[in-house]
Amino acid sequence: MGVTRFNMEAWLDRTNLVVCVGAGGVGKTTTAATLGLCGALRGRRVMVLTIDPARRLANSLGLKNIGNEQTQIDLEALGLSTDGELWAMMLDSRSTFDGLITRVSPDEVSRDRILNNHVYRHMADTFAGSQDYMATETLYDLVDSGSYDLIVLDTPPVKNALDFLESPGRLINFMDERVLRWFLHPYDANAVFGGKLMMGTSAVVFRLLAYVFGRDFLEDLATFFQDFQGLYEGFVARNDAVVKLFRDPGTSFVTICAPTESSLDVAVFFQEELKRRELPRGGIIVNQVHTCEGEQHDAKEILGALTRTLSEDLSPNTAATLLARLGMAHRRLRALGQAEAALARRVRACGAGGGFYQEIPRLDGNVHDLESLHEVGRRLLVPADVL
Amino acid sequence: MAETDGGSPTKIARGLLEARLILITGKGGTGKTTFASALALLAALRGKRVLLLEIDSQRPALTPVFGVAPTYEPQQIRDNLEIANLTWQEALQSFLASLVPSRRIVRLILSNRMVGRFLDFTPGSREIVTLSVLGDRVGDYDLVIADLPASGHAFSLLDITRSAMGLFRSGPVRHRAEELRELLTSPTTRMVLVSLPEEMVVNETIETYQKLDRYELISRPPVVFLNRATLPTFTDEERTLLGRLCNSELSPLADEFVRAGRWEDELEQATAASQARLLETLPEPPLLVPPAPPGGIPREVVGSVATHLGRLVGISRRELRWE
Repeated sequence: MGVTRFNMEAWLDRTNLVVCVGAGGVGKTTTAATLGLCGALRGRRVMVLTIDPARRLANSLGLKNIGNEQTQIDLEALGLSTDGELWAMMLDSRSTFDGLITRVSPDEVSRDRILNNHVYRHMADTFAGSQDYMATETLYDLVDSGSYDLIVLDTPPVKNALDFLESPGRLINFMDERVLRWFLHPYDANAVFGGKLMMGTSAVVFRLLAYVFGRDFLEDLATFFQDFQGLYEGFVARNDAVVKLFRDPGTSFVTICAPTESSLDVAVFFQEELKRRELPRGGIIVNQVHTCEGEQHDAKEILGALTRTLSEDLSPNTAATLLARLGMAHRRLRALGQAEAALARRVRACGAGGGFYQEIPRLDGNVHDLESLHEVGRRLLVPADVL
Repeated sequence: MAETDGGSPTKIARGLLEARLILITGKGGTGKTTFASALALLAALRGKRVLLLEIDSQRPALTPVFGVAPTYEPQQIRDNLEIANLTWQEALQSFLASLVPSRRIVRLILSNRMVGRFLDFTPGSREIVTLSVLGDRVGDYDLVIADLPASGHAFSLLDITRSAMGLFRSGPVRHRAEELRELLTSPTTRMVLVSLPEEMVVNETIETYQKLDRYELISRPPVVFLNRATLPTFTDEERTLLGRLCNSELSPLADEFVRAGRWEDELEQATAASQARLLETLPEPPLLVPPAPPGGIPREVVGSVATHLGRLVGISRRELRWE
C-alpha cells in the first residue's frame, strides 16, 4: 500500500527538548524515562527532569530516590555499550528556590532575610504552584549549562490546562513594578504620597485586605516583595527565554494517554490547547494497549489435546476448568482490545497534522527497572503512524 | 492513630456513609470521580441529603456522569442529590461577602485589578478560600462529598490548614484555617483513597496516607478502595498447567488463549500483592471493587461501581435505578 510511516528514531535524534503532557496515571513518567533511555542508547547526553510530586521517576528507573541533584543512571546493567549518558533529576521546589535566591542575592544579609521570611518559607514549601515556577527555572539552567543534547520534561498531572506554562507568567504579573509599588507604598518609609494616592478605592481595598488576611501577613508579604524587587528583571528574562525555547523547532510536545475514556478526553483537550498556543506538537503515544487479534474460537478445539497430555498427573478436571477459564479470559481480552481501539480512533482524529501516533502494547508485569524500560523503548521506536 | 471500624467490608462501607464530610483523592486515573459519584448515589438512596462537589474544575469530571455541568450554585439532579463545582471566583465572592457586610465594598474589592493579582499569587489564599466555602456547605446537608484533585495537589490543599497557621497570624483567614483544621480532624469527616492493583499506584496511596497521618490532617483511618481488582479464581493446579502450556510449542492461535490466561492470572496476582501491601501498611483493610465492563462511558462505570458498593450497604441494583 505504501503508507508513509513516521520514523521515530530520526525524530528523537533531531529533538532537543521533549515535553510530556497528559493526565495522571497514563504512564507519563515511564514514557519520559523510556524516551530518555532511548536517547542515551542512541549516543546522546540526556536529562530526564520530573516535576511530579510523587516519586515515580525514581521508581521506574529502579532507584529508591532521585533528589534535586543531577543523578547519572548507570546503564552498564543493561550490558549495552553506548557513548550516551542518562541523567535524571526530580525537582524539589524548595531547594531550587533556595538555590535561586542564593545565586541572585547581592549579599548574605539580604539572602538570609529572604530565606527566613515567613511568606517565602511557605511559598517555597507548600504553595502548590511553586513547582511550576521552579520547573522553568531549572529547565533554563539545564539548557543554559549546555551539558545535555536532549532534555525530557515530565510534567505534573494537571488535568485542566498547561498550567506549568502559565505560572511563571503569574509570578511575573505580580512582580510587575506597578503592582509592587501599589502594594508596597503603605510600608515604604521613603515614599512621599501624603495620603493622596492612598485615598479612595485603593485605601479601602487595602484596609480590607489587611483585615481579611491580617496585618502581620501583609507586612511579611511587603518585606518579602521589597527584598524580591531586585530579582524581577532576572525572572522576566528567564521566562522569556523559556517561552522561546518551548516554541523552538527542536522542541516537541508529546501527548501521552492510556486507552481509557477519561485519559483520552484529557489528551484531546491537550491537543486543542497545543494547537491554540501554536506549540510544536511531536505526536501522541497511547500506552498500555491490550491487543488480542484472534477471532472467536473454541479453546477446547485448539488446546484440548495438549492440555490433556500436559495434565495427566493433575486432578482429572484441571484441563477442562483451565480451558473454560482461558476461553473466558480470551473473550474478555478481546472485548477490552476492541473497546480500546474504538477510543483510540477518537484521539487520532483530533491529532491530525500533529506528528506521530504510536501505540505501546501493554507489557506483562510492572515497568520498574531499566530492562523493562528498554523493552518498552524498543516498541516505542518502531515506525509509527503519521497523524 | 484513632480507632478503626474493625475489619469487615460491610462495616467499613456502612460506617463511611455515616460521615458528614467525605473527601476523596487518589492518583490520577484511579477513579476518584467514579467513587465520589457512586457513594453520593448510595447515600442519597439511604435518605440523606447529599451534595457532591468538585473543586474549581475548568472541565468538571461530573459532567459526563450526570449529563449536567455542575455550577457554583448546587443543582438538584435526583432525589436528595445535588452537585456543584466550587469555582474560585464565586467562592471568593461568597467568602468576602461573609466577612464584609456591604455588597458594594465586596464588588469594589473584586473589581480592583491589583487585588486579582494579589490573590492569584499570594500563597495559600486560593486554597483557604475554597476550603472555607466547602466547610460552609457541610452544615447545609447531611453529607458533603468532595471529589478532590489528585493526591499530590489534594495534600497541598488540605495541608494549607496547617501551614496557614504560620502564615496568617491574625485576622479572619487565620480563624477560618483553625476552624477548617477542626473540621478535617472531626470524627464525622472521612478520607477516601482510591487505589489500583499496580505497584506505583499502591505506593502513592501509602505515601498519601502516611503524610496525612504524620501532619495530623485526619483523625480516623482512611477508607481505601482497591479499584479494578481481579479476585483470585485460578487454582494451584490450573496455574501449574498454565505454566506448562507457556513452555510448550504453540500455534499462534493457541498462543492467543494462553496469553489471555496469563494476563488474567497476572491481574489476580497483582491484586493479591496490592491487597497484601495495603493490609500491612494501612490501619484498615482495602475494599476490593471489580473492574467495570470494558468500553463503558463514565455513567456506566459509575453504575457498575455503585452496584457493587450497594451490595455492601444493602442497596439493590433495582433501587439504584441508574443504568
